[in-house]
Amino acid sequence: MGDRSLGALCAVTVLIVLGLGVSGGVGGQSPSSTAPSGTKVFDETAVNTEAAIKAAADKVKADAAELKNWKQPRTPWGDPDIQGYYFNHSSYTPLERPVALKDKAFYTEEEALAAFKRAVETDADVDPRVVHYDWKEYGMDAWQMSGVKPNLRTSLIVDPPDGRLPPLTPEAKTRLAAAAAAEKAKGIDVTSPGMYTRCITGNGGPPRIPGGVTAESQILQTRGYVVMVQQSNNDVRIIPLDGRPHLPKNVNQWLGDARGHWEDATLVVETTNFNAERNWRGSTDAMHLIERYTLMGPKTLRYQFTVTDPMTWTQPWSIDSLLPRIDPPIYEFACHEQNYGLINWTIGSQLRAKEAAAGGQTTQSLREER
Amino acid sequence: MRIRVTVVAAMSALVLAGCKVTGPTPGGQTPSAPLFPAWEAPRTADGKPDLNGVWQSFTTANWDILAHAAQPGPHPEVMGAWGAGPGGQSIVEGNEIPYQPWAAAKKEENFKNRMVVKVTNDPHRYDTGEPELQCYRPGVPRANYMPYPFQIFQTPDQILIVYEYKGAIRSIYMNSKEEAPSDTWMGWSKGHWEGDTLVVDVTSFESYTWFDRAGNFHSDALHVVERYTPVSPYHIQYEATIEDPKVFTRPWKMSFPIYRRVEPNVQLVEFNCVPFVQEMMYAPLGLYKPRGE
Repeated sequence: MGDRSLGALCAVTVLIVLGLGVSGGVGGQSPSSTAPSGTKVFDETAVNTEAAIKAAADKVKADAAELKNWKQPRTPWGDPDIQGYYFNHSSYTPLERPVALKDKAFYTEEEALAAFKRAVETDADVDPRVVHYDWKEYGMDAWQMSGVKPNLRTSLIVDPPDGRLPPLTPEAKTRLAAAAAAEKAKGIDVTSPGMYTRCITGNGGPPRIPGGVTAESQILQTRGYVVMVQQSNNDVRIIPLDGRPHLPKNVNQWLGDARGHWEDATLVVETTNFNAERNWRGSTDAMHLIERYTLMGPKTLRYQFTVTDPMTWTQPWSIDSLLPRIDPPIYEFACHEQNYGLINWTIGSQLRAKEAAAGGQTTQSLREER
Repeated sequence: MRIRVTVVAAMSALVLAGCKVTGPTPGGQTPSAPLFPAWEAPRTADGKPDLNGVWQSFTTANWDILAHAAQPGPHPEVMGAWGAGPGGQSIVEGNEIPYQPWAAAKKEENFKNRMVVKVTNDPHRYDTGEPELQCYRPGVPRANYMPYPFQIFQTPDQILIVYEYKGAIRSIYMNSKEEAPSDTWMGWSKGHWEGDTLVVDVTSFESYTWFDRAGNFHSDALHVVERYTPVSPYHIQYEATIEDPKVFTRPWKMSFPIYRRVEPNVQLVEFNCVPFVQEMMYAPLGLYKPRGE
């Protein structure tokens, strides 16, 4: 299990890109990559960032063209059919807008392409001193995946209007500071890393936050249900559509308790009953999530959500993003079974903490230099 | 234990338990067929029997797939009756597993060491103890007779089964030629319909799962053929043929009924056991600090 530390750059995202003109924008002649003798020859877009950037930009246009004669498919029982495999990345748009952009919600086409190029190149550039895995060696960088495209949006967050997470409430600040102090007093152990490294939940939410690896997912429908499977940790959410009530408040779950309904062609999913220990972005078990899934064409699922937690944020916040279709299937993700990575993480982190206490150079300080 | 039995299911269990003793007939007829009036399963949009729903089996096979007496659990000094295992009848045809001699000895050793949990950061070593004790995926067929419900989502190309235990999932790919890319805990499942019976061929297993808490086991050569036959609105007759030339002298069969959970608004309630085992698994390595200290 990887602990990827490329921050906001891995963030995925969003939309509103139709009509991005790219023709002359990207260098046409990408250096051809020569595979070492005896190795498999890969698609250029999986080994060459220039080729990937050009292909992604071209794709934006092609997708717009495909939309013309598209009609929302239906299941045999009449529900909108949004089934398929989707990737929780669609671009490199960060969750939060860079502060310098202030209220600028959209790039010009030229700016969008430049931002995309910058993000891809930064993603591909890895310092082996601070990153354990170079994901691109495994074809796992976002730019190596089909469907990842430039995007006019400057942030995934569309509300608040500055594209940034709302401030924490004073109560949340106190709570989180106390939790951090308690963690520090406890010291590093197997409960210190995130839920993903501990194999308790994957990185696919809910809600789905773009970023990280293993971002593949599947949506499957049967009469009365929508099921969502994440590759990551094989997290699965069963969403009944029959209007039944939520589980009683005391029945908390790591993935929450989801109920869905259709509003025209949009699947609306309301999730409550979150486990407080999940501590998603500092939230509590008062967190309330509304997600909206709308198929926008043959290859694109629009994904919006609004998170409310009055114990944590001073106002609700919302994102708007696009999930591109990908090829099946989802594979088994047996994470906890023989999770030697957790043992190594813990031993390594304990050693690093000792080094830091002794004033030595640490992984963290290398990162900061960078 | 979280066996939640509805009145309907409990009554049916009694009826079926009485009939199961005879075992499957050689002709492959399901033994329970005569119990039920002639009935045709409702159909999905593509005309196949509709297996969608929340299901659960009610055997004690998770403790031991062979016939067994009730027994105290480990640490009866603190666990008392909570830790005890119920007695039960065999789900295995003939109440016998045809182990090769070395494997029969290994089964006994497994049982003896079922609570010896030693995890390590060497990925090439796998020190065991009972996999369920450590919240590992249960494999197939065990997932189908653990004391937890599971839900079947049936589409024409793919049947997804979500098990409440650990939220383990498996996809059954219908009429697929695709081979498994690697070995897995839950196996690689390919399905097809034979009349009203869903037949699932499962291969590409890891060698780490056990059939039960009694230490019954297999190797990575395990091959399971499952047959799911709906026999009433509330019952599926399940049969599995187990083959593993590295461990057994011949293929063998197990069978039991699976019951529909009929409570209003019934749903799987998350059983994410990973946090429940972290102290047991990591404290011996000095990597877990007790809470509140």
